[in-house]
Amino acid sequence: MLALQLLCNGLATGCALGVVAVTFSLVYSTTKLFHVAHAGVFTLGGYLAWSLTSRGAPFLLAFVVAIAVCAATGALIQALLYARLERRHATHLVILIASLGMLAVMQNIIAAVYTPNILQFTLPWASQVVAGGGSVRLTVIQVLIVAASVAAYGGLMWFAHHTILGKQMRAVASNPFLAEITRLRPRRVHVYVMAIASAVVSVPGVLVPVDLGLQPYNGVTPLLTATIAMIAGGVGSITGAFVLAIAIAELQNLSLLIIPGEWSIGITFFIFLIFMLFRPTGLFAAVR
Amino acid sequence: MDFWLSYLTLAAIYVLLGLSTNLLVGIAGIFSVSQAAVFGVGAYIVSYLLMNDLTSFLPAMLVASAFCVLLNVLVTLPALRVSGDYFVVTSFGIQLLATAIFTNWTAGTGGANGLPGIPPADLFGKTLDDSKQLVALCLGAMVLGCVAFWLIMRAPFGRLLRAIREDELAVAAAGKNVLRAKVSAAAMAGAFAGSAGGLYATFLSFIDPSSFDLDSSILLLTMVVVGGARTLAGSIVGPFLLLALPQVLSLIDIPTTIAAAARQLIYGVLLIAFMLFRPQGLAGEKL
Repeated sequence: MLALQLLCNGLATGCALGVVAVTFSLVYSTTKLFHVAHAGVFTLGGYLAWSLTSRGAPFLLAFVVAIAVCAATGALIQALLYARLERRHATHLVILIASLGMLAVMQNIIAAVYTPNILQFTLPWASQVVAGGGSVRLTVIQVLIVAASVAAYGGLMWFAHHTILGKQMRAVASNPFLAEITRLRPRRVHVYVMAIASAVVSVPGVLVPVDLGLQPYNGVTPLLTATIAMIAGGVGSITGAFVLAIAIAELQNLSLLIIPGEWSIGITFFIFLIFMLFRPTGLFAAVR
Repeated sequence: MDFWLSYLTLAAIYVLLGLSTNLLVGIAGIFSVSQAAVFGVGAYIVSYLLMNDLTSFLPAMLVASAFCVLLNVLVTLPALRVSGDYFVVTSFGIQLLATAIFTNWTAGTGGANGLPGIPPADLFGKTLDDSKQLVALCLGAMVLGCVAFWLIMRAPFGRLLRAIREDELAVAAAGKNVLRAKVSAAAMAGAFAGSAGGLYATFLSFIDPSSFDLDSSILLLTMVVVGGARTLAGSIVGPFLLLALPQVLSLIDIPTTIAAAARQLIYGVLLIAFMLFRPQGLAGEKL
């Protein structure tokens, strides 16, 4: 029965990680930037929602505000930091270091304002048990995480394939030079992409802490797992990233049966090593 | 007076780490946030060897350096074979994994409580337990490291590394093995970081995981970015400046609960500001 419970937990974490992976992949394939500060945006969403609800705002309002603020933050990071550096023909390394700096700034502003300790984000309705068949417990928030994540993934897929902006995004991703000369204005598209990715990543950013609590430095491990999922799924394949994130989270959770939880980062990294050695292009790359 | 001695000793150790980070990030152009992990591995190995009286100080340093070289080669080789961005993931992964090992492998590392009572360094049978002697040892190691760095950068190998930063494709077309050069740079970075770890452990006689976490790696990166990439001067200026920062901050009245966060925040701001306005740092070359 424990295995089944772990599978359910894994599905919830996996879907949330999937959204992180998908949004990271979206940024990575369009702007070609390894956007480390994405972890900061992810963390920011949860803290915003927490401080609004603890001041008496309804959860839905807090959720929407957090999404909006995260979208704005993402757009600002792109417009004020990455775009500036790119205009100066900064190397990849320079942008990466700036992104790491941005992550440090966001995490530590949060730590300075809310203290570096773990905050419990408890909502009475969220921890109610939905399906208690036998010894398996599934809480409202876990179901909500799965539903919202699948919706976010579906929405993003639909958006990328059926809207003008989505098509522009894919055009810029596949050939920035051609996009430039056909007046698609890649720089502007990059800002939109960052805004969208940051808005979507704040969905699990708000929901996961309701389940597991908040900590300022908690964004790095999910981001690392998500980037591993993106690479394992094949860079550029959104579905690959989402599916692999769920697979990795399930493996991590099942490994709890034999290995204590503090070593789960080892499992994740081991999966990455296997992929790097035997299939560095990822699983779904050939299908693309 | 004691404060100055300990500042000087720590700065000397961090100069070695700065050289290590500079070799990897500045010269080979590999983004790394796992230098503190390698530093930690060196520190723990030296502590283990000295506490169990297995070897004296110098052989312990050699073992630690050799192990860190091996570690860096094993880590960089597969990732660099594929792509630079894969190394970002590898690097984050190694750092988080190392922190997990330092914190949770209680039998080997003392866990979160750390390892107390590491014996002081000894040279040729003479124990160095006086702080002046320790300063001399660390400064000596620093000078040795600086000379080694300077010689490497003057040698044909150093020129090869510079050439790779200018134009990797051209170097490959000229028949040079780019991957091997990068991995060798990483290996040397490992040796520097490992020996710095050994000095650090024997100087403080206590180590715990918090000195070797992601934040410390970011500090090391900040030192190189502020000092300046690719130059000896940059690797010396950065550590001396940034180690003075906590002292400056203690003059301002900040609540202790947020002091660590405030310090890290400043490192982050420095990283962004230098990348935006002065990517070559105070005394470096183009990054």
